[in-house]
Amino acid sequence: MTDYTLIGKRMPRMDSRAKVMGKALYTADLKLPGMLVGKILRSPHAHAKIVGIDTSKALALPGVKAVVTGADTEGVKWGVFAYTRDQQFIQTEKVRYIGDEVAGVAAVDEETALAALDFIHVEYEVLPAVFDPMTAMTTDAEPIHAEFPNNINIHVNIDTGSVDENFKKAYYIREDTFTAPEESYFHGEPYAVAARFDYDDCLEIWMPNGGPHMKSKPLSNAFKIPLHKVKVKKITIGGAFGGRSEICPADYICALLAKKTGRPVKIVFTREENTIGTRQGHAMITTHKTGVDKEGRVLARETTCYMDGGAYSSTGPIATSVPFLSMEQAYRMESVRYNGYRIYTNKPIRGMIRVHGRGFACGLDTQLDMIAQHLGIDPVEMRLRNSRQPGEFTSTGSQVWSCAMDETIKKAAAAANWQDKFGKLPPFHGIGIGTNSVQTGFPMGIRGGSQSFVKFNEDGEATVMSGVVDNGQGNENMLVQIAAEELGLLPEDIHLVSADTETTSSDPGSYSQVSTFVGGQAVKNAAANCRQKLFDVAAKILKADPGKLTAKNRMIYVTDDPKKAVSIKKTVRVALLNFTSVNAEGGYWPRVDMKREWVSNPYGQMCEAFSFGTTIIEVKVDPDTGQVTVLNAVACQDVGKALNPLVLEGQFEGSVAMGGQGGMLTEYHDWQEGRCLNPTMLEYKVPLACDMPEITGIIVESVDPRGPYGAKEAGMSIAMSAAQAYAGAVSNAIGVYMDSFPLTPDKIVAAIREKRQAGK
Amino acid sequence: MQTIDITLTVNDHQQIIPVKPNDTLLEVVRDYLDLTGSKEGCGEGVCGSCTVILDGHPVRACLTLALEANGSAVTTVEGLADGDTLTLLQQSFIDHGAVQCGFCTPGMLMSAKALLDEDSSPDRQKIRQALSGNICRCTGYAKIVDAVEHAARPEPGCPDCHTKETGGDHD
Amino acid sequence: MRLPQFTYHSPDTLEGVLALLDEHRDNAGVLAGGTDLLVRMKHRLAGPKVLVSLKHLDSLSYIKEMSGMLCIGAKTPIIDVIRSDRVKQQAPALVQACERIGAVSIQHYRGTIGGNILQDNRCIHYNQSQLHRSGRQPCHKDGGKICYARDEADRCNSTCQSDGATALMAMDAHLVLNSTRGEHRVALDGFYTTDGIHPFDMQPDELLTKIDIPVVPGAVSAYQRLSYRSAIDYPIVCAGIRLVPDQKDAGCIGSARIVVGAMSRSPLFLAKVSQSLAGVRFDDNTAFDRAGKDAMNAAATFAAHNAGADLAFRQAMVEKMVGRALEQAAAQVSMKIAR
Repeated sequence: MTDYTLIGKRMPRMDSRAKVMGKALYTADLKLPGMLVGKILRSPHAHAKIVGIDTSKALALPGVKAVVTGADTEGVKWGVFAYTRDQQFIQTEKVRYIGDEVAGVAAVDEETALAALDFIHVEYEVLPAVFDPMTAMTTDAEPIHAEFPNNINIHVNIDTGSVDENFKKAYYIREDTFTAPEESYFHGEPYAVAARFDYDDCLEIWMPNGGPHMKSKPLSNAFKIPLHKVKVKKITIGGAFGGRSEICPADYICALLAKKTGRPVKIVFTREENTIGTRQGHAMITTHKTGVDKEGRVLARETTCYMDGGAYSSTGPIATSVPFLSMEQAYRMESVRYNGYRIYTNKPIRGMIRVHGRGFACGLDTQLDMIAQHLGIDPVEMRLRNSRQPGEFTSTGSQVWSCAMDETIKKAAAAANWQDKFGKLPPFHGIGIGTNSVQTGFPMGIRGGSQSFVKFNEDGEATVMSGVVDNGQGNENMLVQIAAEELGLLPEDIHLVSADTETTSSDPGSYSQVSTFVGGQAVKNAAANCRQKLFDVAAKILKADPGKLTAKNRMIYVTDDPKKAVSIKKTVRVALLNFTSVNAEGGYWPRVDMKREWVSNPYGQMCEAFSFGTTIIEVKVDPDTGQVTVLNAVACQDVGKALNPLVLEGQFEGSVAMGGQGGMLTEYHDWQEGRCLNPTMLEYKVPLACDMPEITGIIVESVDPRGPYGAKEAGMSIAMSAAQAYAGAVSNAIGVYMDSFPLTPDKIVAAIREKRQAGK
Repeated sequence: MQTIDITLTVNDHQQIIPVKPNDTLLEVVRDYLDLTGSKEGCGEGVCGSCTVILDGHPVRACLTLALEANGSAVTTVEGLADGDTLTLLQQSFIDHGAVQCGFCTPGMLMSAKALLDEDSSPDRQKIRQALSGNICRCTGYAKIVDAVEHAARPEPGCPDCHTKETGGDHD
Repeated sequence: MRLPQFTYHSPDTLEGVLALLDEHRDNAGVLAGGTDLLVRMKHRLAGPKVLVSLKHLDSLSYIKEMSGMLCIGAKTPIIDVIRSDRVKQQAPALVQACERIGAVSIQHYRGTIGGNILQDNRCIHYNQSQLHRSGRQPCHKDGGKICYARDEADRCNSTCQSDGATALMAMDAHLVLNSTRGEHRVALDGFYTTDGIHPFDMQPDELLTKIDIPVVPGAVSAYQRLSYRSAIDYPIVCAGIRLVPDQKDAGCIGSARIVVGAMSRSPLFLAKVSQSLAGVRFDDNTAFDRAGKDAMNAAATFAAHNAGADLAFRQAMVEKMVGRALEQAAAQVSMKIAR
């Protein structure tokens, strides 16, 4: 095993110091000279025609500097994909959900801006609205988007063939339907954007983002200015969880206000706006029909899922596919047919979220437990019989090179004392297991790869440029760690320039789990190239073979004779005196099937690596009140290679909180006629410190052949499997397989009561 | 609207600040004093990101009128370190990986400091209770609880305790 | 979120406060800890033109025992109530209730016991932003004629979600209200209107100054509540209990007070169910279970879908909260006897 200096070590994050001192600046903290306060007027109606807008009174208000409406735009529709261009940044004809953008104002202060919103008069003609996806598909009412009949936004169909034949061969078949309502991100930081046009008519813009380059292109299109004139700037980001990857209408509105006023403008969302005006997780209704042989191996599965997509497409094609992909990666199925429908409703827009498809995944694992019980198989054994094995292909044709799923199951089961507990716990005391797999990226065309640039400074320190963004998960530290390892420097010798479209090359962003695999690998390659340049110089100084040198601790030495050494600083200076460049670039492009497309061709190599995770949860349920207490949580993931166990553990723990404790016990949105009844943290119950269990994290390393140092996606498989394990544990505790998630106390009490009544 | 002068001792510096009646303490420290470490995460006293220490107790700056703080001493996250020297608590947050996106961190530190000022050696349950009004979406709280616990009692053998001092001198 | 404009006063004396309340009446708002009022102001649910701060009225912050009463100043911070040995001894239900209010750094230092009692009634359809409340008919409490919590309701169905008031009503607390017109004492169980818009029977020039809890020899009390989280949550159902032993047979209940909270416009003192426990032995859990069921039947009809959680669940949980609070209170008797 290679002896690394930094890789694999518990390294405190470089960015923490500024954060614990309160010095890290987030978008809302920015103050630019002459800056105005921007606010957005949002639709109070779920579905309505805009008959007219009168902004004259608002404009007349002292202190109001600009008002923009759809009339200031060119009415262009935007979408992540060519076939999903359905969203205007400011609506011109009709509004489609409560919160849809109707106008923007910029004023000298917040009070004036808020007052101006009240003075904008919008005349609406209210239209019938639909809030339920099943109704939306059959309603005679005006479709939400004229181009999409029956309000069907996306239909993903995957069929491996032989499904019907294999059902005939099955020893046992079950069909069950599972539901889960919407969930939300509740990032620490509410969304904010600040924008200005500089002396050169370049748009400078700051906002939390999942990839700066994903923001710059739509802004370049919207303002019809070249990409180099859109400078998405680096700023500290207070969480993303999949919800900040695309352009947000507020980005455009803020920039438009800045353009119109010639002054910097900042828009800071309220907590409610962050919930209803950005993205949410999809509500889903999922039916799994599964046929197994006598040993419990899945011969055939047919899954149909209806997703409530809200008013616009967002990342719809991806969202409609990912729950299926996680299933096909984690579990072998001899044949499978999938129909996923994403339906428009008059509710906020749904996108990708950390635990995307909790109802889908928890339903699948619940059904596996039901089948296991019928066949008399232990749930752990049931999973081992169906688990993905290294070298195999998924149902849609992705080869899985590294996979230690079985090891995660076995290690988690051992740590949780599964054998001693399952089936042996007292009443209302239960244990459950969840297993899942998450893809390390997906085909993204010209934005699939990342490029990095490394330059040595004359003092022997290095500047590293990378488009990778840090949403809070520790990506910056990961890049520094890799660069320092490769260059033989200390972490403090690395100056990182990142997440800025002016100075860094394109990068796929942080929302597809590829920051380490692709972005980190690009830095690794760039740094290795740069190191090689130094080695060529050092070889001459040391009179040694450049292929037999090592860089470590600011020194370059002969690998077999460490006493023969020269400092990196000296090597850099010698290089410069000898007209030799000490800069280098490097990139990484994942070798995926570029013909694979979400809807038109969902087959081929999806990505290069897949992570596998197992979570086991033990709970105690109060049968009278339905309150769940978590007694033990074990999270175990195959991460390929743990670059920094300290950071990884944090990802596991956060995943258990968001996916399991929140996602399966308390978090859901409640609605009344398209109005979100719990848009803030008061009524939307994210987990608190006093309710979280202690968590045991176990890292499994399969060392991926293609990942940097063997690393691949880390953390998400835990978020997903934690939801499944919580569901399994509660079901096991109360002796009822639950099919409606999350498992709130009212549902638990009702299930116990029904079971008792049925028993009488 | 007319402003009223208040006297506020912020991070040991006494100053006179003209405020409007409807300014909150959070708006004053962020907008007037440029101390943007304290964050607004919800504005209604739930998330805890705006927690500051007012006359020795943790309070929500977003639900405290600036006028109500007249004559008081306020400590914000910027007032913890002594120049470049971090407190044990801050260092412990770094060393134990308690900081992810960092948005909740300032409020979390202030609640933790208030706890440790009162009880130099709280157990984990007491730490969890004291932090129950500070929402963190990234960490699942595990490493935050570790950081507070080890700031009070650096644990021999802990792979992440870089500070070797013992005892509870966290500020 | 920006507060609306207002003028601010912080008088040095009680008289000064009362004079301002008398002068501004409905236009005035009393600012104690601000944890309820300021949030409503930010949402434009309240818009007092004048805020009268109690900042300097430290004389209203105390806990003492006087002539058979445990007296708590209305401005006493929640944290002081929780940490008071006297309250722990004389009114354990109040400590239990106060411990569950908000979270340590939100409510316990700034929040006051008076403010907790006088927190406005809540409804998930009403306690929302201006955006949320626009584009639909205003509800009763918002100045309109419709209720979103209960179909066809001709009046407001907001809920009193005060932990403190529920516990205090169980202990037969009285409130002392002051105005320039004088002092006025009222039993907490007679303090509520049946109007969710204006839930308190209190004049706009009056200030809550003191809470009196009768110290009854041998009395025990307990408080139970349910919420989806362990902190920063209002109760979705709660119960406060006080049991007084029979003077002749200390093993039996002489009188009981059962109060159910978070179900209606005010905490519900269930007189009939309470009376049914007279003469019941302290270890008679069957009687407690029965009382729980009776309490549920009595209280459930008042509930409306206004607190986020499933309505039928909240109703069903009345039985459990009352039953558990009874058992917990009764257990204190056996402990006292054992001592």
